[in-house]
Amino acid sequence: MANALEGIRVIDLTVWFQGPVAAQHLADFGAEVIKVERPQGGDQGRGVRSIKALPVGDWNQYFLVINRNKKSLALDLKKPAGREIMYRLVEKSDVFLSNLGIPLLESWELGYEKLREINPRLVYATNTGYGRLGGVHKPSFDMTVQALTGLMARLGEPGQPPIYLGMGSGDAYGGLMSALGIMLALHHRRRTGKGQMVDASLYGAQLFLTAPTLQAFLATGNEKYSKQQSRREAENPLWNLYRARDKWLFLCVPNEDASWSRLCQSFDPQERAQDPRFDSVAKRRQNARELVGLIEQAIGRQDAAEWMKRWKSLGIVASPVENLEDLGQDPQAWENDYFLETYCEEVQRQVKVRGLPVGLSKTPGVVKTLGPQLGQDTELILADTLGFSWDQIGEFKAQGAIP
Amino acid sequence: MSSALEELVVLDLTTAFWSSVGSALLGDFGARVIRVENLPEARGEDANTDEPKVSWDYEAELAQRNKRSLALDLEQESGRAVLRELIRKADVFVTDWDFGRLEEHRLDYTSLSALKPSLIYAHGSGFGPKGPDRDLPALDELAAARTGMMPILPQPDQPPVYAGAGGMYTAVMLAFGVSLALHHREETGEGQEVDVSLFAANMYGASLDVQAFLAMGGERFLHPVARLDAGNPMSGVLYPSKDGLWLCLTMPDTDRWWPGLAEITGIDSDDPRFNSHDKRCEENRLELIQVLEEAFGQHPASHWKAVFTERQLSADVIEDFNYPANDEQARRNRYILELDRPGVGRIKTLGFPIYMSESPAQLDRMAPCLGQHSSAILHDVLGYSEDRIAELEADGIIA
Repeated sequence: MANALEGIRVIDLTVWFQGPVAAQHLADFGAEVIKVERPQGGDQGRGVRSIKALPVGDWNQYFLVINRNKKSLALDLKKPAGREIMYRLVEKSDVFLSNLGIPLLESWELGYEKLREINPRLVYATNTGYGRLGGVHKPSFDMTVQALTGLMARLGEPGQPPIYLGMGSGDAYGGLMSALGIMLALHHRRRTGKGQMVDASLYGAQLFLTAPTLQAFLATGNEKYSKQQSRREAENPLWNLYRARDKWLFLCVPNEDASWSRLCQSFDPQERAQDPRFDSVAKRRQNARELVGLIEQAIGRQDAAEWMKRWKSLGIVASPVENLEDLGQDPQAWENDYFLETYCEEVQRQVKVRGLPVGLSKTPGVVKTLGPQLGQDTELILADTLGFSWDQIGEFKAQGAIP
Repeated sequence: MSSALEELVVLDLTTAFWSSVGSALLGDFGARVIRVENLPEARGEDANTDEPKVSWDYEAELAQRNKRSLALDLEQESGRAVLRELIRKADVFVTDWDFGRLEEHRLDYTSLSALKPSLIYAHGSGFGPKGPDRDLPALDELAAARTGMMPILPQPDQPPVYAGAGGMYTAVMLAFGVSLALHHREETGEGQEVDVSLFAANMYGASLDVQAFLAMGGERFLHPVARLDAGNPMSGVLYPSKDGLWLCLTMPDTDRWWPGLAEITGIDSDDPRFNSHDKRCEENRLELIQVLEEAFGQHPASHWKAVFTERQLSADVIEDFNYPANDEQARRNRYILELDRPGVGRIKTLGFPIYMSESPAQLDRMAPCLGQHSSAILHDVLGYSEDRIAELEADGIIA
């Protein structure tokens, strides 16, 4: 089967998560992604086990999944000979992607101006923390940037600590945004022949991520969008989280008389839809706290499965709130290739990985290999892709530009 | 200034905020997006809503910007015939209608690709095109509930948390999928189907925990971790400041950050309890959390913000929406726009998350009114005469 990005070569000078996952999306669809890493230790993501930043299994799922389908080139960019190799690679590539700091890139003479001189068709993509403009250059990790967007502060019950969306949540979004930016720049290049500079910052992406509520706040300034709201005071008590006897349920029923009446039928004993406290859209909204209490009591009497059965027959929309174990066994995830199994060299067995969230019917993504060994493709890339002679390659080694 | 998707014609038959944002992203970068609004539905919406009326539709301001509106009755065959003619002129078709409805209206991929084989047909659903739940409603709440993260986001014994981020994630996946398919079409002339779902988006949004569970399994991923029991006291932990605002730290490689953090919190960086990564993250982890909790409680958030910035530490204050709304950095980078909206006055609205030096995103048109461009589109794109357009209008096919 054909690949969507056949023939596109990407230099992936990225570390940790956002940059690597951006390049992963391109690699999944057939771009040739060459991950450039420092010879000592490579991408810090290879070392997550030792710094205990997050749980790691017997294989390094953090690094190996977001660097799948890539080649690895080990290069010391602090050395002039390392840069010479990089410049040759820039000449022969379509995209340069980095999430290193702009000042660091400049100090290695890998800034936009320099690389554009070498290859005017190059798409030069960065992942800054807070944007290209405005001059803010402080450290930017996923959570510290999520903190600034206002997203965390509005989640959770009042009085509880703010809620973080989970490790890598903002990086993942910034990475996807970066992949989209690169594709847009490739389209522009096809028409104009010109490369350009593209940036998708963590801050910009995460502000966009919170659009449904941030947009409302920008328009109204209403604190109900910016502050924690209790589920006990939901504006529409029929669209809310409730605990059944065994687990939580997400009930998604519009505040309409007909659906309220159907919901009442499902309760045991049946509630009266005509209860004067709740018999109109406005009253259900006004008496929300009371109504939440009533529904909570009713739902607490049965297990989630029983509710799902009853509600299905009444056309009432809801879902059990599942945990990760449920998700791991969810046929919906497997049948759509959102999860896949693939071979892992590190442990020499099939392992489960996040699959392909974007489906393309004729050029589907594919997971061929998990992340590469540090520098595993160095010599081949230098010889075949860049056309250096074996003598030159030996010299680069002697100079310490490559291992 | 040129744009990335100049001359691309997108037909947008979306009903939800998230899917409309997906096609708006294409419009932001220059595509000509024609929003097709199904007349009976568009009229019904106003009647049904229980939301109080606002003078300015701020959701549309984001989700429908850079689009033109064609109001068309798709419940009538002559309305669908107009749409089919437009399909022949379009490059991309974007929809979030459910599979059954698309088939009933003969707007499924098989029908439309027969009209135009090079068409890129992008579909957003709740749970993907296959599997037992493909026909569930496309609601982010349902997808989030299935993704396994809601129970572990809050503190122990708290209700599950719905973050509401899946829709925006799906929007970008939609635009990305279209851009991949366009690339392939430019090489081969071949169109194809693109599919994205709220379910997949929620999984990718929570990728590290989901992937860690897939790799390791285990009870530990099924229950929330208490704030004061974090695995690394310096990374991913929230601490309250003196004035009740919260702080967060992300310093996973603690060796690098410890001297700076110790100094600002008044801890001796050589304190034998904490002078190695293992001591900080294993042996004396709980003690360090307590010490930091106490130290951060000594000063208000503004103090800590100043200190974090001065020392370039990877830590910040957890702000509310007032911060980005008034942040010069967000404005300079056009993440948030401030502009004059005729009839409304000065407004703020979300801007553009992607910077492009040569083909930047642009706000060419504000969200259209229902049917604002109906006759213009029929005339310009399909070459209909004024008489024919008037006839369609009289018959209630367009508005």
